[in-house]
Amino acid sequence: MEIAIPPDLVFVILAAVTLIAAVLALQAKELIYGAIALGISFIGIAGFFVFLDAPYLAMLQIAVYVGAVVVLILFTIMLVRREQSDELLDRPEGGQGAVGLWLAGLLAVAIAGVAALAGPNLPAAPPAGNLPVSSLGLVLAAEYPIPLVILALLISAALLGALVLAKVEK
Amino acid sequence: MVNLPATPADLIPFLFAVITSHTFIQIILFPGFIHVTLVTAFLTWYERKIIARIQLRIGPLYAGGPGGILQPIADGVKLIFKEVMIPYKADKPLFLAIPLALVVMAALPFAVIPFGQNWVIANLDVGLVFVFAMISLFPLMILIFAWASNSKYPFLGGLRSLFQQVAYEIPMWISALSIVMLAGSLSLVDIVNAQARIWFIIPAFLSFIVFFISVMAELERLPFDLPTAEPELVAGWFTESSGAIFMLQFLALYMKMYLMSSLVTVLFLGGWWGPAFLPQPVWFIIKTLIVATFIIIPRAVFARIRVDMLIRIGWTRLLIVALVNVFLTVLLITSGLTAILGM
Repeated sequence: MEIAIPPDLVFVILAAVTLIAAVLALQAKELIYGAIALGISFIGIAGFFVFLDAPYLAMLQIAVYVGAVVVLILFTIMLVRREQSDELLDRPEGGQGAVGLWLAGLLAVAIAGVAALAGPNLPAAPPAGNLPVSSLGLVLAAEYPIPLVILALLISAALLGALVLAKVEK
Repeated sequence: MVNLPATPADLIPFLFAVITSHTFIQIILFPGFIHVTLVTAFLTWYERKIIARIQLRIGPLYAGGPGGILQPIADGVKLIFKEVMIPYKADKPLFLAIPLALVVMAALPFAVIPFGQNWVIANLDVGLVFVFAMISLFPLMILIFAWASNSKYPFLGGLRSLFQQVAYEIPMWISALSIVMLAGSLSLVDIVNAQARIWFIIPAFLSFIVFFISVMAELERLPFDLPTAEPELVAGWFTESSGAIFMLQFLALYMKMYLMSSLVTVLFLGGWWGPAFLPQPVWFIIKTLIVATFIIIPRAVFARIRVDMLIRIGWTRLLIVALVNVFLTVLLITSGLTAILGM
């Protein structure tokens, strides 16, 4: 059975979860709660990927960002002792918060302006539909082989660098 | 397609349509939550009985039924009525929420496990990645719970759980890669359909060994039960839990055992395929229970290994074997042998 859920409702709920969790991640008094809120925000972004017919990206978003990045952040937090972690929190003072809000507002106005000016002239996005995962691999391997190889080289270099850094001198 | 209720008067027909729908019954009864919970309860009894037989004991006997098979119900009732002790200065909301989240995380992947040709709740295009994504969240939850307990033994157990994930997760993904290459799909239904002629355990035997060892590490079973090592860490990351909290964690752990056994069945043992005199889900559950037996037996046979040994095995043995198997699979596919074998 399929239930007809209005797409706008899904979008609003996902956006609310993602944004509220992101704000909580920045504002949490306890760093652990901040990390958990960050994980929830990442899951919200994964929800957007599902909503946009890209389930593969959504699953990798959960596995890599929530399963690995948040774990690393938590691990770092727990290596720092609790008394010290309170001192690490620095609240924005005085004008800083207002400046941030002004900048965010400016950015929102700029994006809205660009969308209003260029939006009607943009070519319509092709309908995504329910593409198989293999089409992603085909596009990557057939149309963008050189960026793919460069990316692989970059990751290998990062791995080797990590090995060199982790090697203990005897 | 059913529309969302617009007025309160539409609510009752809408709920009726939801509850009587095919998907809802599948989610609740079979292959959904009630079936999973019952098999999980059976597994706890089954493990105690097998370990007892290996150690020349009798095991649970007095709770009723043949061989005390009602023991899990007695355990559950006892644990529900016990007091939940929350440690002094523990983080109360997280301490209470994480066990629930563990059960949800363990139960969700059953939505994509195919128990038969039509016995699957959601045939996701990316089912395998979905299962892996869900189980990769477990060490995170365990670490948060261990931190929330505010006690040193759970915390050490939580950190060990994390180390363990670093050791087993990458070999596990890469050993599953050769299966995906053979089947040409990430959907678990397609993977099982590709095994109609020959089970993938035969062309990908090395991959099966790597995957099985990784599953043992993932499930924190002996010889990889470092996060819950009794002689060193009391009970590891669930040292401070009691009553209903402990019951939920125990349920999640055994649910995950059922999940991983069924994943091994799907990937390597031909899923629901079997002679036609039994229905497909029965074959699936029989195979899964056989896999679970082989996961349980080492608990009474092997000794525990150290953390550094586990990480060395993961990165220098399992990963290499898994990569070798990927190259063998590429050879198998490019040489056209898979076409001859009818895969």
